[in-house]
Amino acid sequence: MRRTLTIALLLAGTLRAQAPSAAVAIPSYKDLKYPQLKPIKIPDVATFTLPNGIRLYLLENHELPLVRGSALVRTGNLFDPADKVGLATMTGMVMRTGGTKDKSGDQLDVQLENIAASVETGIDESFGTASFSCLKENTDEVLGVFHDVLTTPGLRQDKIDLAKTELRSSISRRNDEPHAIAEREFDSIVYGKDTPYGWQMEYATLDRIARPDVVQFYERYFFPANVMLAVIGDFSITEMKAKLENRFADWTVKQPPVPPFPPVTAKPAPGIFVATKTDVTQAFLTLGHLGGELRDKDFPALEEMADILGGGFHSRLFQRVRTQLGYAYDVSAAWAANYDHPGLFELSSSTKSASATATIKVFQQEIEKIRTSEVASEELESAKQRVANSFVFNFDTLSKTLNRVLRYDYYGYPRDFIHQYQRGIEAVTRQDVMRAARERVNPKILTVVAVGNPEEFGTPLATLGLPVTSIDLTIPEPASAPKPAPAKTDAASIERGKKLLERVQQAAGGADQLAAVKDVTETLNLSMATMAPGMKVTQTNIWVAPDQFRQESQLPFGKIVVYSDGKSGWMSTPQGIRPLPPPQLQQVREELFRIYFSLLLSDRMADRTVSSSEPGTIDISDQAGNSVRLIIDGKTGLPAKEVYASQQPTGQPGSMEEVFDEFEQAGGIKVPKKITVNQAGKTFAEMTITEYKINSGIKNEDISKKP
Amino acid sequence: MSRPAKLHLLFLLASCLAAAQDLKEFEKRVTEFTLANGLHFIVLERHQAPVVSFHTYVNAGSVDDPEGKTGLAHMFEHMAFKGTETIGTKNWPEEKKALAAIEEVYDRLEQEQRKGPRADPAKIAAIEEELKAAIEKANSYVIPNQFPTIIEENGGVGMNAGTSLDSTEYFYNLPANRVELWFLLESQRFLHPVFREFYKERDVVMEERRMRLESDPQQKLIQCLLSSAFEAHPYRRLSVGWASDIQSLRVRDAEQFYKTYYVPANITIGIVGDVDPKQARALADKYFTRLPARPLPPIIHTVEPPQEGPRLAQIQSASQPFEVIGYKRPDQYDKDDPVFDVVSSLLAGGRTGIIYKDMVRDKQISLAAGASASFPAAKYPNLFLFYVFPSLGHTVQDNEQALSQLLEQFKNEKVDAESLARVKTKTRASLIHRLDSNSGLAELLTSFYVNYGDWRKVFTSLDDVDKVTADDVQRVARKYFVSNTRTTAFDFQPQPVGEKHAQTPAQTGEKQ
Repeated sequence: MRRTLTIALLLAGTLRAQAPSAAVAIPSYKDLKYPQLKPIKIPDVATFTLPNGIRLYLLENHELPLVRGSALVRTGNLFDPADKVGLATMTGMVMRTGGTKDKSGDQLDVQLENIAASVETGIDESFGTASFSCLKENTDEVLGVFHDVLTTPGLRQDKIDLAKTELRSSISRRNDEPHAIAEREFDSIVYGKDTPYGWQMEYATLDRIARPDVVQFYERYFFPANVMLAVIGDFSITEMKAKLENRFADWTVKQPPVPPFPPVTAKPAPGIFVATKTDVTQAFLTLGHLGGELRDKDFPALEEMADILGGGFHSRLFQRVRTQLGYAYDVSAAWAANYDHPGLFELSSSTKSASATATIKVFQQEIEKIRTSEVASEELESAKQRVANSFVFNFDTLSKTLNRVLRYDYYGYPRDFIHQYQRGIEAVTRQDVMRAARERVNPKILTVVAVGNPEEFGTPLATLGLPVTSIDLTIPEPASAPKPAPAKTDAASIERGKKLLERVQQAAGGADQLAAVKDVTETLNLSMATMAPGMKVTQTNIWVAPDQFRQESQLPFGKIVVYSDGKSGWMSTPQGIRPLPPPQLQQVREELFRIYFSLLLSDRMADRTVSSSEPGTIDISDQAGNSVRLIIDGKTGLPAKEVYASQQPTGQPGSMEEVFDEFEQAGGIKVPKKITVNQAGKTFAEMTITEYKINSGIKNEDISKKP
Repeated sequence: MSRPAKLHLLFLLASCLAAAQDLKEFEKRVTEFTLANGLHFIVLERHQAPVVSFHTYVNAGSVDDPEGKTGLAHMFEHMAFKGTETIGTKNWPEEKKALAAIEEVYDRLEQEQRKGPRADPAKIAAIEEELKAAIEKANSYVIPNQFPTIIEENGGVGMNAGTSLDSTEYFYNLPANRVELWFLLESQRFLHPVFREFYKERDVVMEERRMRLESDPQQKLIQCLLSSAFEAHPYRRLSVGWASDIQSLRVRDAEQFYKTYYVPANITIGIVGDVDPKQARALADKYFTRLPARPLPPIIHTVEPPQEGPRLAQIQSASQPFEVIGYKRPDQYDKDDPVFDVVSSLLAGGRTGIIYKDMVRDKQISLAAGASASFPAAKYPNLFLFYVFPSLGHTVQDNEQALSQLLEQFKNEKVDAESLARVKTKTRASLIHRLDSNSGLAELLTSFYVNYGDWRKVFTSLDDVDKVTADDVQRVARKYFVSNTRTTAFDFQPQPVGEKHAQTPAQTGEKQ
């Protein structure tokens, strides 16, 4: 280090002696002269088709001792069945995590990470990939794993379950980031919510996916003739070709050619769509409509248009929205064309809530301007120079070249498309830009998506003169344990229900015993999934027949008491007493309907219907709209489970299930000492009843006393 | 000798040779020199394609923001794109006068504001109007965004800059025939920066803050964690600064920051690609020697006092739950620094990380869970960070409990040889993967030089990792993963009150 410094100083000293730098004026950047750029050598990609149909693309790169490969497979989530959106994604995940015929995914994890290698799989919108990466010395071993993952994946059930859990969790989080919401909703609205390009995964669609679906999806699309395999790295082409040919010789499965991807069937969706999110200080805006494809004749002109409009520091939107107005940090416009289907013309920005409407106005103005007057010649020249002078960066790594060849072949583009594009850009005139803008940008069909807090938007969005619609971001409720099928109420079902209920009454101690119960006091310990581990709540529930109810819960920070007579009620917390709000009152009414002792006597109540649609089950409902299905234990005749619909904290109705266990005698009646409450297939709460006091003479006056 | 151990030794031998090979091979292609003013250059030749990447690494970041002026380092970074006396202006002499006029009016405004309750609102309104007019007048001389536009027009790609706590970095790539442009522009931007459009840029930075922090539940939680973990040290805040500080920044603040920190001896430049080192040297002399040498800036002397008990912070949020946990740890110069990296990989690396296997794969209580060995930065004592995203139906509490158990186990059971070997192999391979990017290399070389005094540490740090033993891992885990120096932060959703079974904001997770 020191030596280098001394030499540097010496050199500096020498230079100074020869040419004092102070005397040399700094040229203007405009006056700099540049030598010709060295021509870049674009290597030829060696292509072969193996006997089984796999198309190989090979390129040598000896700079580093690495080998990387990627198989491109014609498939995509565009091929999801509409009722199973997420199938392709899941298949892409499980191909790797589910292991191979001989090894579990966990075993592959250890094997690969031990040698710092990776094999990964995934399925995107319009392609599937299986890739590998390793140090040169491990090539054979990793090719083996890669081959097995691609040709004989295990697709094991436990990893399908894990993938479902992960995907469900990601659904639950999809409304946390406003930028993601804006992008997603814009795509969805412009392409059409019910089309393959606009629909999204939901809990319900995931629930319908089972292993046979995954296997079928894999088998349909993963076959040799449908695979393009690109490999780059420190090897010789002849050697690698031979290796791959040998390795994949055993993969001979055939399938019919894959159908074309579904076409885009989008209809214009003009207007403003607002998704309310109150925990943000900005409005996240996306504006635009359907765009075009890369091979459109006007694509070069449209790309220049979008670049001038919003393609970076130099652009009109950047200058105005960010630099002049200070409205935003990020603002952009893009004509994002796709290879084989229309992309999106999209302007976007995020700005403090108060400037939301003003920013949309600027978007509209700039769109109008670029459609009605020619861009300045400096603007167009500048844009062309950007493309021309940075063109070399399309080829600066061998991987880019390889990936490009693969992509062009995959989508049926000519191999020299990038050069056609370059020539196209060169030829664009100011008239072309304006004409293309007029023909392809249509202000009348603009879709505007705004995510944020509309109350803080300053000037209301409605002042923009476009219809304003609310987007409901609510995530449709997860599909839960089978909902009770609608009860059959024909005479035969009622007869069966009555008989079964009589049997239950007998098993529980007799109908008369049950009818003699006038009050019940339950003391129980409660633990809930949402509570801190180790935290327990004690509760005392008192029921005075027929419809008086009091619940006292002892929590670490204090006591909560709820009382109701079925018509109204109150709630007391350490903060004070207040009337029972309607949702809680409704819940109490549902509780009262299901009180064990009276529920089992439902055949004696005029306003209740008792029937049995399926063997071993009893459906009970009343005029007020309450209903419950009891599943009866065939051996004991006692209720094993209760299934009913209930309002969730999220405000959505959901299916709940209570499982009864450890029946014991109390006052001549068999009662469950353990009740597990499940929601959506997962344990929600556990109650252990430590004491049942029956007929202790409690009166309504006693339980309605406020603390 | 059992098979795994044998493989371990063989591989180490092979990879040691490989590393030596790489370093020697690299050294042949690296030219380093320091100008008289202290500016240091590292030039690496890589002639695969006629392109060059440039990386300017300034050894100053948000930790250097003065109290009450947080966000200043980041603000200056924005200013560095505004041009010079010759770039970005239609008429510099007039613009210079107009910019001085803005400051004069703003000074008068502040004088009136400082009167507090005795300030005259009418006077303030009038001066604010004057200020607006003065700003508009100065803006009329501006050619907006000319500096970055010149770069883009000349084929520049990947242009950006970033301010972190420990550093500020500027980078872009150019076609190889235009290297002289970089020398001209980069030297001018740090020799004659002009703070034009400063007050408008404050608004832009505010929007950036709103976007990156205020509207992002995870970033908000991380800010909360940092403020709780660090009482005194500037690592307590994220780089963008406090909103009220940003909105009070003045041009003279940025000028002072620039004079103090943007001194040649505090800057290192990496140039990687199809470059001729002799030509680079000549151009450095032509353009960069005119930057005057100035004394090195002060080093942060505030030391975070010892943490003597666990800390907890919570944020009520409509978002899905998320939790971060930080354990205090020493800076990157500590002899155990490589051990922390190994620990991080053992616990959270890939699909074999202990946390991944237990919480994501087996128990499925987490959607994602991981760790970061140095957070938020590494030059000063910092945090070993864990983060968990509970999966649907699970809570931060059950995630935290599982993590706690894993850490206890990790402290009690020494790591096996296979896992340790795996981490070392991955570390070595990951470096090899980073060697094929000009811009990545430029960043690596300058960063290691600034932080450790020698770019060769990019390679020799692998040897430090190789020396880590199972005993080291256990010792470090036992010493640092202790509750007294732990800070936890999580967000919780508001619970509707009056639910049948739990009338409690269930996620308070109160610790008994």
